[in-house]
Amino acid sequence: MAALDLNAPQADLAQDAAALDAIWRDPPGIRGFLTTVDHKRIAARYLVTTLALLVIAGILALDMRLQLSQPGLERMGPQAYNEAFTLHGSTMLFLVSVPVMEAMAIWLVPLMLGQRNLAYPRLTAYSYWLYLGGVLMLWVPHALGITPDLGWFQYPPLSGPAYGPGHRVDIWAQMITFTEVAALAASVNVAVTILKMRPPGMTLARMPLFLWAMLVTSVMTVLALPAVMLATSLLIADRLVSTQFFSPGAGGDVLLFQHIFWFFGHPEVYIIFIPAVGFVSAIVETFTRRAVFGYTVQVLAIISVGLLAFGLWVHHMFAVGLPRLGASFYTAASMAIALPIGLQIFSWIATIASGRPRFDTPLLWVTGFIATFVIGGLSGVMTASAPLDLQLTDTYFVVAHLHYVLIGGALFPLFGALTYWFPKATGRIMSEGWGKIAFWLVFVGFNIGFFPMHLLGLMGMPRRIYTYPAEAGWGTLNLVATAGMLIASLGAAIIVANAVISLRWGRRAGVDPWGGATLEWSCASPPPPWNFAATPVVASLTPGWEPPPRAVMTGLSLENREVLVTSVGDAVPEHRQPSPGPSIWPLLTALATALLFVGSIFTPWAVVWGSIPVAAALIGWFWPRTRPEEAQAEAP
Amino acid sequence: MLAACGSEDRPIERERVRTPPQGAADARIPYYQDNLFQVARGARFFSWYGCGSCHAAGGDEALDLADGKWRHGGDFDAVFASIAQGRAPGMPAYGSRMPVETLWQVTAYVRDIEKQDAATRRRQDLDRRAEGGGRGS
Ligand SMILES: [Cu+2]
Repeated sequence: MAALDLNAPQADLAQDAAALDAIWRDPPGIRGFLTTVDHKRIAARYLVTTLALLVIAGILALDMRLQLSQPGLERMGPQAYNEAFTLHGSTMLFLVSVPVMEAMAIWLVPLMLGQRNLAYPRLTAYSYWLYLGGVLMLWVPHALGITPDLGWFQYPPLSGPAYGPGHRVDIWAQMITFTEVAALAASVNVAVTILKMRPPGMTLARMPLFLWAMLVTSVMTVLALPAVMLATSLLIADRLVSTQFFSPGAGGDVLLFQHIFWFFGHPEVYIIFIPAVGFVSAIVETFTRRAVFGYTVQVLAIISVGLLAFGLWVHHMFAVGLPRLGASFYTAASMAIALPIGLQIFSWIATIASGRPRFDTPLLWVTGFIATFVIGGLSGVMTASAPLDLQLTDTYFVVAHLHYVLIGGALFPLFGALTYWFPKATGRIMSEGWGKIAFWLVFVGFNIGFFPMHLLGLMGMPRRIYTYPAEAGWGTLNLVATAGMLIASLGAAIIVANAVISLRWGRRAGVDPWGGATLEWSCASPPPPWNFAATPVVASLTPGWEPPPRAVMTGLSLENREVLVTSVGDAVPEHRQPSPGPSIWPLLTALATALLFVGSIFTPWAVVWGSIPVAAALIGWFWPRTRPEEAQAEAP
Repeated sequence: MLAACGSEDRPIERERVRTPPQGAADARIPYYQDNLFQVARGARFFSWYGCGSCHAAGGDEALDLADGKWRHGGDFDAVFASIAQGRAPGMPAYGSRMPVETLWQVTAYVRDIEKQDAATRRRQDLDRRAEGGGRGS
């Protein structure tokens, strides 16, 4: 059993490093690349993939903005425009926003817990490979000219067998299956890690807010994502084997699709937003030099947002003609969710006001987030009102609103988080000067780009149109919006350049460049494969600010990969858990799963025959292997 | 794969046909017959113009379009002519009611029916019938 050792701080355990290195290092070269289960390596490739797609989706957005900058432009036709907004929306919602938050959690959760890996290391690898399958599912057919073109939510009957010929719809639907299975796996992984692998002393009441945010997000993901897979699977069934779920002529219901889709779709917004809330709390705490004001309020707010998020989905459907009483209920519920979020915003403002804020780039992003998200929240309360929504639905007002909450509410905190944790991940600090310039360009450009869309929406400009006549009078504001987007794009380019250059030539960071309070700031930058030589012991919400010496717990094996498992409530050490090493089976299983998913676009029999390789791969994955220490344990 | 890509095209911006097919090997035929979007458009017009009220699935054998048997020839130009000029005794001439491109699309759909399985055709008819645009199929 592990022992509590108050006299052995991390530095004194340096002699263990060689032994730890031998058991936690990946095999070299391509073999290590394909078999790694190191959460940091997997998170890094997740992040690189999502950020590359973010850039591509941004370029698509710029393309669309150029098309709309003047009335009557014909540089893009209607079909190209349909494909552009479908690719942009589907990529951003399914392949960027949710996965990038998972990536951050996969990287950060074990570090914040003082652990050496996630609870299910091979599942982490499986999540990434499957996610990559989803990326290829959308973008390889696009390269072949088969691009989904019905938007990021593809409603039947338009997407049904009679009106959506070919495989464009199936590609979109199956891309979702890929990414959602990956997200489910990642969420289970993260939730179990947070609940069962907290370091000794980190009771639920001493858990950093980021971990609370990821815990709630993970539970929400597990509850919400099956709904969208159900919706798209029923759609594929309608198209492939002529079921009648969404066929009113046969007693089906097209609105059923919208209900199931938005039962996922609305919580999805908060699945993206709540991790961002976690970033904001971490950044605010570090850069104001005080613990976040109203910790309990914050935790309760996160949980109530998580609960309320499941009761609002109908506000996406006010225009479809539902009973008025129901619409009123969802109006009220949609407005109610502004309360816990307002409490959080006041808590952050109170923290900044009562602390000693240092406006480095990460805190600038947080300030930008608060300003932008409040505007997005206000336009959200407006669209939540059923009678007003009837006027605003499918106009640019909605486009403005959703970009204010998603870019302002999730991407700004994400950029802050990337700047904040960049030194921990790479060992180097990004340039502060360029970081601030990039922030102001993105912040100002974003607001110039998207604020006019509120007005365009009120003037009646519909979304998803590839051009408009000059007589409509929308030309000037559209030109302003395009100019804003160009400014923001310049800022985004500077962020990318800053990151790439800093990776090579940035100032060395050291263990704790910002003076952070959470555990990840006590391991090396970049962290070694085993993260921590010994498990830290926690006695407060801000262990990084406790005076030394800091207690650690030693006793994990120096011969095999092991992690510490603790109790759910009080984080009392329970046992040492063997942690699996590099394995090719996650990749093989992901390939087998991909075969089944892709095949089932073409024939229902793929579900039958495709399950055989999946079963074979899973048997390989779970085949019992005796570990040396187990053999020893049985001997005495 | 190239053929598949052609079949997946959405030729919204392509120049429209203005004349009937010149024989069974007219170079324009594949753009309609092998394109899923054009065939689907044809299916919709088939429903809108009420063609299904006589040519319903599982109806009279002489009017059955799904059996692959063509009394007046099954080539593209022959089927086109049957629709455009009508056939005695009961088939009216649609050439005066449908624009030329619509005739091409309906022809492509009619020639495609025999390749569809009954369940798929029935499922698609259900959606189009619920549309309420024509007299039903
Ligand atoms: Cu919503």
